[in-house]
Amino acid sequence: MKKLLLLVLASGAALAINGGGIAAHADGIPTRNPKMRARTTAQKNGADKKVAADKKVGARALEKSLPEKPKVTELKEVGLKSLFEASAGRKRPLLVNFWATWCVPCRTEFPDLVKIRAQFAADRLDFVTISLDDVSEIATGVPEFLQEVRADAIPAFLLNADDPEAAINLIDPTWRGELPATFLFDRTGALVFIHKGRVKPLELAAAIEKTLGAKE
Amino acid sequence: MKKIYAIALLFCALALLPAFAPATRAAFAPDATTTGASIGAVIEEFKLPDADGKQHALSALKGKNGAVLIFMSVQCPVSNAYNERMVKLADEYKARGVNVIGINSNAAETPEAIKQHSSAKGITFRVLKDAGNKLADRLDAQVTPEAYFLDASNKLVYRGRIDNSRNGDAINATELRDAIDATLAGKPVAKPEAKAFGCSIKRAS
Repeated sequence: MKKLLLLVLASGAALAINGGGIAAHADGIPTRNPKMRARTTAQKNGADKKVAADKKVGARALEKSLPEKPKVTELKEVGLKSLFEASAGRKRPLLVNFWATWCVPCRTEFPDLVKIRAQFAADRLDFVTISLDDVSEIATGVPEFLQEVRADAIPAFLLNADDPEAAINLIDPTWRGELPATFLFDRTGALVFIHKGRVKPLELAAAIEKTLGAKE
Repeated sequence: MKKIYAIALLFCALALLPAFAPATRAAFAPDATTTGASIGAVIEEFKLPDADGKQHALSALKGKNGAVLIFMSVQCPVSNAYNERMVKLADEYKARGVNVIGINSNAAETPEAIKQHSSAKGITFRVLKDAGNKLADRLDAQVTPEAYFLDASNKLVYRGRIDNSRNGDAINATELRDAIDATLAGKPVAKPEAKAFGCSIKRAS
């Protein structure tokens, strides 16, 4: 009899737990109680809306803290040529970094490039980046990435070359087109430093210092 | 006395000759320090494993009229943009005695990743793993994708891009096909080298 009583009590307790809708049900485990199901769904929807609203607030706050989206200028072969011609005979050496958003080491090295820009003022060193992304990314993917890494102080171009080979050879005939690639030209326009692959900041800074200190 | 001078000059000239002789063979000894193969160089036999670890020799994989080695990547978007074109090229030229062989020299891309990539992307030709990027170093391969076309006698007759258009919508130069077609027709290759922007081969440090 005692056993029977215990069994009845145990079943009742189980039903109470199930029907009562314990907290665990609120995080998505379905309940058999229709009232509870409606209440947990409403709670969940409310929580989802709150998370979404918080996310929007976070995104807006992040956007406000970022610099303006940089303008990216399209370059054709002629423009690229004139960029180098204009740099020759000027007061400052020219540093050029070729990159693309689809190139992982290019993205990884960008914070180092931003530091290099901060280290050498614009009145001592001309520094431009040239993206090899598709031209369709000129107002979206490329500036968005530059904004994200705070590269707004570096003039940005996108090379939309009809003949990529001519562009590669214009920079350096020994270059095979691998990205990223960084080139330093002295005040006469002579190529004085080449680095293919992710830059080594100390090595690059030393090369810039050397070029800045060189008497020409 | 004049004769002695003349003989001495002749010896000097003979001693200097090798320095000016054009490179005709790419050295493939394990300790070779060569950096790249010139157009016209004969690429010597090599053996590399496929994604299952099975070794393959160049001589066994090449076609009777030659082979195209394509340095490719699992992750590189430029290389991946050429997957369909590489497969099409392999299928078309196999019937004409030129076999395409994929080479993966990227240190971070494992045989398992290569296997999955080939399966997912429908790569029909053999892709070999160049661990330690030894073959890439010997051929001075730097970019993916980059093709090396060897004729029937393993002479390098073309190196460089497959065509001029990464996304394939504005192809107006097909240097690799042109080189194969010219060679099959017994004609010289008009443009034996062509470059393109691409992903750098991630070498083992």
